[in-house]
Amino acid sequence: MYYDLHIHSCLSPCADDDMTPNNICNMAVIKGLDVIAITDHNSCLNLPAFDVCAKNLGLRLIYGCELQTIEEVHVLGLFQTLAEAMSMQEWIDEKLKKVEFDPAYFGNELRMNAQDEVISQEKNLLIISLDASIEETIDAVHEHGGAAVLAHAAGRHNSICVQLGFIPEDLKYDAIEVKKEEDMTYIKKIHPWITDDNTLWLMDSDAHRLIDISEQVHAINEEKFRKLWSRNL
Amino acid sequence: MNIQECINQTQWQLDTPQLDLSKDITGAYAGDLLSWVMGRGNAGDAWITVQVHVNVLAVAVLREFSCVIIADNAVVTEEFIKKASDEGLVIIESKMPTYETAVKLHELGI
Repeated sequence: MYYDLHIHSCLSPCADDDMTPNNICNMAVIKGLDVIAITDHNSCLNLPAFDVCAKNLGLRLIYGCELQTIEEVHVLGLFQTLAEAMSMQEWIDEKLKKVEFDPAYFGNELRMNAQDEVISQEKNLLIISLDASIEETIDAVHEHGGAAVLAHAAGRHNSICVQLGFIPEDLKYDAIEVKKEEDMTYIKKIHPWITDDNTLWLMDSDAHRLIDISEQVHAINEEKFRKLWSRNL
Repeated sequence: MNIQECINQTQWQLDTPQLDLSKDITGAYAGDLLSWVMGRGNAGDAWITVQVHVNVLAVAVLREFSCVIIADNAVVTEEFIKKASDEGLVIIESKMPTYETAVKLHELGI
């Protein structure tokens, strides 16, 4: 099963405006992906439109968001149902500070319907930290039925390894996302307790542009995929 | 200047009063990216930061800092204080921004 579980839509200010529900879902189908997740910064509000588009195309959709913790670490929350993601949105609304912003500088935050029409431009900036620690954030994802993934875990920006120096041994994440093989090697080297046997590794695109959405390069079998949510069973 | 003298002069809040305060503060370092701080700062430094994740304690012990000064009213948890106490690491809250905290230390001759 070819996957890409980290894709930003036009709701993320840093993503292109043409990252619309129909463009992304159709591009995923053209690229031959079997399952994708939409993961906007601190928001699930474009997921209802993606739900319709993905269903129309028979594309499997995971309902996600990319949460920024108070330590400025990025964590993906991945949900199997739209309802779970929308209940997560209520938690986000409680934890996100209201900071108005200039779209001319940060980029647009476009909420869309399933016809790729703009419903609204979000008023508040989405790329700021939630008022929640990484532990509280992961707990909230689990409480809402989701899986928590350490996003671009060894990356140079907003990764757990940069912000917090290393991954705490007792952190209750469900998977570690890396950009490349070397990052996996690095993480295993500095954390002797992290092994291939006890860790689910993901490699996603973190696409902000249509062209960057993954091709058929990263695959996962159904059993391993379902393990993402096994903590909640 | 040792930690006790620093507290006396600044009236900053000491979160770990049961620990040894006679350790010398021989310098200071400010930073919030733990990966960055891990490779910098010197033994004996007072580390000024707004990060309050427990990983801060591991980094402070690794670098042999004399104490950690939490700046700008970042909210410290009981778990953080307890773990710091277990590690023998002194935690101080300056309740002022990082820059002012650093300036104050400089005025004290650190």
